[in-house]
Amino acid sequence: MATQVSGDRTAQVRIHLKTRSSDIELPEDTGPILVSTELKRYQLSTLVNRLLETEKPIPLEFLINGQFLRTSIDEFLTQNGISAETTLSVEYVKALIPPLYVASYEHDDWVSSVDVLSQSSRAAQWAGDRYDASTQRILSGGYDGLLRVWNMSSEVVATGQGHTASVKAARFMSPTQVVSSGFDRTLRLWKYEDAEAAGTASLTPTLELYGHKAAVDNIAVHAPSSRILSASSDHTVGIWSTKKAEGPAAPESLLPTANKRRKLSTAKTLPQRGPLSLLLGHQSQVSDVCFDEKDATVAYSSSWDHSVKTWDLTTSTCVDTRTTAQSLFSICHLPEASLLATGTVARHITLIDPRASATTISAMTLRGHTNAVVSLARDPNSSYQLVSGSHDGTCKVWDIRSVRNEAGSERVGDSVYTIERESAKGKPKSVAGEGVKVFSVAWDREVGVVSGGEDKRVQINKGLST
Amino acid sequence: MAQRAGQKRKVVEVPRPEAEESEDELVNGEFDGALVDDGDSEEELSGEDSEGELEDDEDAEVELDSDEIPSSEDEEDVRQQLQDLKTSNGNTDVKQLGDDAGDEANYRITTDANGNPRYVYGEIDPAYDSDDSDAPATANTIGDIPLSYYDAYPHIGYDINGRRINRPAKGEALDSLLDSIDLPKGWTGLTDPTTGKALQLSREELEVLKKLTRNEVPGEGYDPYPDMVEYFTGKGMEEVMPLSAAPEPKRRFVPSMHEHKRVMKIVKAIREGRIKPYRAPTEEDKEREEAEAEFATYDVWANEQPQPDHIMNIPAPKLPPPGYEDSYHPPPEYLPDTDEKQAWEEQDEEDRDRDFLPRDHAALRKVPGYEKLIKEKFERCLDLYLAPRVRRSKLNIDPESLLPKLPDPAELKPFPTTCATVCKGHEGRVRTLAFDPSGKFVASGGDDGTVRVWDPVTGRQCWRIKLSSSEPVNVVSWRPGTDAFILAACCGETVHFIVPQGSVSSPDLEVASQELLDSGFGYAATNASKAPAGPDKPSSSAWSRPSAALQERGVLVTLTLHSPPKTLAWHRRGDYFTTVCPSTAAVSTAIAIHTLSKHQTQHPFKRLRGLAQSACFHPSKPLFFVATRQRIRIYDLQAQKLEKELQPGARWISGMSLHPLGSNLLVASYDKRLLWHDLDLGAMPYKTLRYHAKAIRSVAFHPSLPLFVDGSDDGTLQVFHGKVVGDSLENATVVPLKVLRGHRVARELGVLEVAWHPREAWAVSAGADGAVRVWT
Repeated sequence: MATQVSGDRTAQVRIHLKTRSSDIELPEDTGPILVSTELKRYQLSTLVNRLLETEKPIPLEFLINGQFLRTSIDEFLTQNGISAETTLSVEYVKALIPPLYVASYEHDDWVSSVDVLSQSSRAAQWAGDRYDASTQRILSGGYDGLLRVWNMSSEVVATGQGHTASVKAARFMSPTQVVSSGFDRTLRLWKYEDAEAAGTASLTPTLELYGHKAAVDNIAVHAPSSRILSASSDHTVGIWSTKKAEGPAAPESLLPTANKRRKLSTAKTLPQRGPLSLLLGHQSQVSDVCFDEKDATVAYSSSWDHSVKTWDLTTSTCVDTRTTAQSLFSICHLPEASLLATGTVARHITLIDPRASATTISAMTLRGHTNAVVSLARDPNSSYQLVSGSHDGTCKVWDIRSVRNEAGSERVGDSVYTIERESAKGKPKSVAGEGVKVFSVAWDREVGVVSGGEDKRVQINKGLST
Repeated sequence: MAQRAGQKRKVVEVPRPEAEESEDELVNGEFDGALVDDGDSEEELSGEDSEGELEDDEDAEVELDSDEIPSSEDEEDVRQQLQDLKTSNGNTDVKQLGDDAGDEANYRITTDANGNPRYVYGEIDPAYDSDDSDAPATANTIGDIPLSYYDAYPHIGYDINGRRINRPAKGEALDSLLDSIDLPKGWTGLTDPTTGKALQLSREELEVLKKLTRNEVPGEGYDPYPDMVEYFTGKGMEEVMPLSAAPEPKRRFVPSMHEHKRVMKIVKAIREGRIKPYRAPTEEDKEREEAEAEFATYDVWANEQPQPDHIMNIPAPKLPPPGYEDSYHPPPEYLPDTDEKQAWEEQDEEDRDRDFLPRDHAALRKVPGYEKLIKEKFERCLDLYLAPRVRRSKLNIDPESLLPKLPDPAELKPFPTTCATVCKGHEGRVRTLAFDPSGKFVASGGDDGTVRVWDPVTGRQCWRIKLSSSEPVNVVSWRPGTDAFILAACCGETVHFIVPQGSVSSPDLEVASQELLDSGFGYAATNASKAPAGPDKPSSSAWSRPSAALQERGVLVTLTLHSPPKTLAWHRRGDYFTTVCPSTAAVSTAIAIHTLSKHQTQHPFKRLRGLAQSACFHPSKPLFFVATRQRIRIYDLQAQKLEKELQPGARWISGMSLHPLGSNLLVASYDKRLLWHDLDLGAMPYKTLRYHAKAIRSVAFHPSLPLFVDGSDDGTLQVFHGKVVGDSLENATVVPLKVLRGHRVARELGVLEVAWHPREAWAVSAGADGAVRVWT
């Protein structure tokens, strides 16, 4: 702390404020500002809000050299050995409210997958004005083979029964359609209807998709083009259509045959379709797949064979392969940064630049998990933040602007927040995340961070003011 | 009368030199008495020696005769004695007499009153007949007896012949006698205490006595005050005294005017230039210099370079500089406390790290002498004498360079580092496990008689079957190859061939697997007569279909052996497999090679040396590895002969793992050792790795990566990097990478089996604590 001379002068530092968000940009002519080093985040936030002349103050966070300002400027400078005479380049971002625990929805078995339907969710946006904005629903797929739809009062409003083995993935395709996949090597489409009476709804299977020879571990949906992508253990990525008319006939060999007695009990036969295409190329099982957020004809898939493949869906060809050093368990596209976030078995998240012009495979590494990262989800509010679910029993929130350089020109980021499992509170922590593994995570603007895992619960965490 | 004569004679015999006056008288008188008694002595005594005194005797005799007191002669005798005092040279003549009579006997024989012979001795001359020449001349012949003893008698003693010696006359009679005569010359009026006679002193004697009483020098002619001879004093002999009490003169304190003048003179001369500080060398100087220059002088050591020491030079070892503890007054923390002191004293002298204890002395002068100085000098001398110094060639090798260059473990990634998943569900020990060929599932079997299939990533149990309620599942092993999905599980004496159904496999795989398993029955049925006709003995094992309930669950074929198999290893093609039953009674059936497609069983060894422990196939060549307890034999199956025998040196082999290239073999042993055999190198192990604290149960090479892992009863797994180079020019490098801890040791058992994922660097381990752990 600078010595105060006659009580009215303190050490001052020149800062240059900038942001990457266009909506809160300062006027062009704002030059460097001289501020006291005693200022903390809140004072700086007030200052920037005053400069922006916002009606309602926006809480802001400040990044100096890729680190969030958590102390006063003076302490920050002291810790990092920065002279107070330099002009600090301060990046301000909209503050992320710490996600606090809201609720847990208990299941009978492990929860393998979660998805959220709300006004701001992808499915609702695709549906446009057809969606009644008042309801929020959480979809969960369990290892007991059931799909459940929950309302926000922790009640099951609908249950989908049809998978003959564990459900591995479930997604809202639209406010009225649900896609699920599982260990039984099939994808299933469901019609979801919110009944008039509150607290009841129905999930009715509409279509069975056959084609994979092994468990379908993950799916990605794109409603406008009616396309479903599936990542399967049989080393293929399947492209499917939700429309019965489009889909080819299901391959006979993979259908449950008559000699399977247990399948005969299914009285009602559903329409069965095959894949539009099966993308071959991965050497090992495909763990996750996602659409390019900007261009639905491009997809990315991650595999245990350490590679990320870029697929052109129209021609069903592999465009590009990026090979990393570890098996990849999850993938997520960050369109604004043109990066693919991949969760690895080696306990970190690798950000991969899929563009052909990229020189390095790994643009950045986010470190902090202690077990495999199996699920990734974008922050709906920001294009720089994402949440990851890991087998170590935590979800971590990351900001890719918070970065530091390590030895070997490696860019490393640290997590902003860590969401622990509520069921693990008060228990001794195990490295392997035994019993509290997180299998799936979703982030919705209205609902918050939703995660399901080995503790048979869906846990909702939400930043209070958002 | 005779007595008197004897007395007289005796008196005569006392030497008295002078008194020459009355010679004749004495001689006559003497002769009378003497002739009567002893003529010899009388004759001897004849001479002129005692003439002077005889004159006196004559007078005394006359007087005595007239007087009644018989001591007149004695009195004369006393006078004689007094006279003796003054003259010292009176006995010379008597001596001569003695010499003359030396040869004769000094006695005569007479007859006494009884008629007996009587020896009468001659008078003894004390000066010549006695040895004691230094003894003072005795004036008394009565012996050393006080006169008071004879106060009551008229005599005062006896002479040598027993005659009485009469008391000298004294008292009134004598006084009157004396009064009647003139005072004799030298009369003193004193009585000699020794003789009782009146003491007479001569004039000279008196003079001496007088001088003595006056404290004067008694001798005559002695000058007590001679004139001083001036040896050191006097004219010309004065000594100059160097010290003086005179005060220092003033001039000693005053600058010398004279010196000042002289200095000023020089200064003036310098100023005027008459004296020059530098004098230009004159012609003479130059000549001298030139002359010196002609004698060229060289400094031969000017350019001397430091030379290396002689080859035999042994420099003294450099001692470390003294530390604080060497100080006589060290800081207190260097002083030993009592425990340290005691420990030091209890230590053997050779074991002590230093040969002294730091001690504190307040000052250097209080430091006592070094008590061990002599001892050390002695020992040093002893060393020099007894221990010749030998030059030891020192190797200048950096010890680091001797270590093999091991790569940094960070460069050898990937390898498993942490436990990623724990699969819990088995009750009791998990004895065995295996990754399926696709790497999606892990099968495990345990003491609870169940076989379970796990998803290694999530730890989810995907499938399970209970094969037995009493027998443990000893081995599970997936059939290699992705064309089928067949799990062989040995439970008890039965080998079960299982096609796990449901979600873990796919329909077409299931169908293919079922066909493959069923084909054996077809072959056995069609070739029933041919099958046993092979070269081997008819099989003692039975292939059969299990019960319908088991068939429903996917167990399609069972193979029953005579004793429980503990090892099942597949040939790489998946048609042949071998079982090893170590506990079988018939040694020849311990090892069996089975053909799955034909349902055939062969026992290739009629006789096996040692107890079979494990067996496996070579991945590419028709070689068959058989491990007995201590040996490993490699058989060529085509040529049907022993190819090689390995001697790992282990006491009890627990397992082995063949490198996927087939050139290296890892052998795990119960005696904590892991042995790496390079099959190209010979029978002995290439490397022995002894890192475990307890028996090693299992070892596994990674199918594709240069890794291997072992599991031990101490509950740990150890991951090694083991790179094998194909060209056999380079030896394999083995780098220990990681110890994986996590399994609990239950009943002395830790990790029972380890296995690798077929492609990834994921290890999986079966623990005695009932858990299957996946390590990534």
